[in-house]
Amino acid sequence: MENSIDLKKEKTKKKYRGIENPWSGYLFIAPQLILFLLFILYPVIEGFRMSLFQSNYVSETFVGLDNYIYLFKDPVFLKSIANTIFFVVAIVALTIAFGLFVATAVFDKSAKYVSFIRGSFYLPVMVSMVVMSMVWNFLLNPANGLIAYLLGNLGFENVNLLGDKFWVMPVIIFVTFVGNVGQAIILYIASMIGIPADYFEAAEIDGATRWQRITKILIPLVKPTTLYLTVINIIAVLKIFVVIQLLTGGGPNNSSVTMMYYLYQNAFVYNNTGIAAAVGVLMFIVALLLSLPQFKTFGKQK
Amino acid sequence: MKLFKKLGRMEKSDLIVNIIVTILAICSLLPLFWLVTNSFKPSAEIYKMPPDILPKSLYLDNYKELFSNQPALRWTFNSFLVSFVTTGLSVILSAAAAYAFAKLKFKGKNIIFAIFIASLMIPKETFIVPLFKIIVAFDWVDTYQALIVPNLATCFGVFMLKSFFETIPDSIRESAKLDGANEFTIFFKLMLPIAKPGIGALFILNFVTFWNDYMWQLLMARSKGMNTLTVGVAGLMQEISPNMGLKVAGAAIAAMPMIVIFVLFQKYFTKGITAGAVKE
Repeated sequence: MENSIDLKKEKTKKKYRGIENPWSGYLFIAPQLILFLLFILYPVIEGFRMSLFQSNYVSETFVGLDNYIYLFKDPVFLKSIANTIFFVVAIVALTIAFGLFVATAVFDKSAKYVSFIRGSFYLPVMVSMVVMSMVWNFLLNPANGLIAYLLGNLGFENVNLLGDKFWVMPVIIFVTFVGNVGQAIILYIASMIGIPADYFEAAEIDGATRWQRITKILIPLVKPTTLYLTVINIIAVLKIFVVIQLLTGGGPNNSSVTMMYYLYQNAFVYNNTGIAAAVGVLMFIVALLLSLPQFKTFGKQK
Repeated sequence: MKLFKKLGRMEKSDLIVNIIVTILAICSLLPLFWLVTNSFKPSAEIYKMPPDILPKSLYLDNYKELFSNQPALRWTFNSFLVSFVTTGLSVILSAAAAYAFAKLKFKGKNIIFAIFIASLMIPKETFIVPLFKIIVAFDWVDTYQALIVPNLATCFGVFMLKSFFETIPDSIRESAKLDGANEFTIFFKLMLPIAKPGIGALFILNFVTFWNDYMWQLLMARSKGMNTLTVGVAGLMQEISPNMGLKVAGAAIAAMPMIVIFVLFQKYFTKGITAGAVKE
């Protein structure tokens, strides 16, 4: 009995194979796979290796963990970690809070209004941090920028926010936030629109106020989106570079140096590729650890 | 009148919150408004405080200078070329891989897909040093290949399109098979046309990403003629020159295609961005 079933299975398998060429799958993924191996996997491995060498683009000597030891003794690097953490916490908190504020306000309104709000907040995301940084650079210019002028009218003389040790990070965080929050708004609105309306109707019949409906139903239900946004925003902030380069160059006195900017400077300005690779490895590990919970959700979807 | 009736039915707190949200939405457009309007002002007028909200006349010399004294035309061409070619190739390669992951059977499929997805979360910037070394070893610095090929190594499209292909019923494939079609015919003639909405969304999303790319283009494009718009105009800004109008016009030119694309394709963005995120 069992044998005949097995035989049958074998037969259908063969027949199936007849139509389905097992190689065509590999052929279809081959180009993407080769690109992945060459431009993602290999550089990651090579990055780990390079971080153990003292090197520039010409020669290298094995130094073990010296690059890492150097990093944790370098006050500029420690400053860059502190700045990056401050940056991450501020951006994530602002983005989640503001994204929720906007999305909960508009999600049940007319489609035209929703798309106007979504569009207005998303347009700065579209035009890229390069252009946004340039615009803010013009506006924040202490000599002839609009913001210095407006603050001047309020009685503050000669304000140079980007040249001020205390204000430089808040200002950069604000600029990044404005150029970034549109994505959170789009995702929140989309997932809120996806929630069945009966939940709200039932709550309304029970006499729940709008505030209660938002805090007790809506926000808990979009928790997966909140988690996703938290992770991708942390990772996005880790690699922030353009704003720093175009607005402050890390200054004044290193008060706006971030890890990515530190990496870039070492790699392409000072030619300390070993040090830069070590920073890259550290950031890589942080990004990987942060996204582990995310992978689990991806796995569950299957 | 209808609008007022609707507004009247809203809870008071809801109404106030929405007025604030609307005002903030308009505010978030102000920097771009400033950029576009000021690009039509002579430098002296840009410096003028308090500023005129709209330019006194449509002053075009900033743009004229940008395109005659600066290689802005070349930069624009480079940006379009690099963005179009990268996007086109990347969409085709992602679609092929996504199709295989969604519909074909082969050994190791799930593991390879999981590794692809894992790579999505790793910022490319963290391994930019070894990546740069590879390009140097290929002797590709300052070439179009350098601006295009490494950017094709992104698995975002595979992830996004896989779900589109999964929604296509298997019966379509099977009947095509019985008619004697091979896997490639099925992919190009059947699957690609059906997955058009997903491919459209991915195309636009990728185009914007590659257009706005900065760090990689900055590293790769060494000569002024190889610069793309973002790198070119960012370079203009860092030049010590009082010609404010020229710089503003440069930034405006880099922003303009994105504004146009957004106005034309808003719904694709929403679709693309949400498809890329966690599904419920």
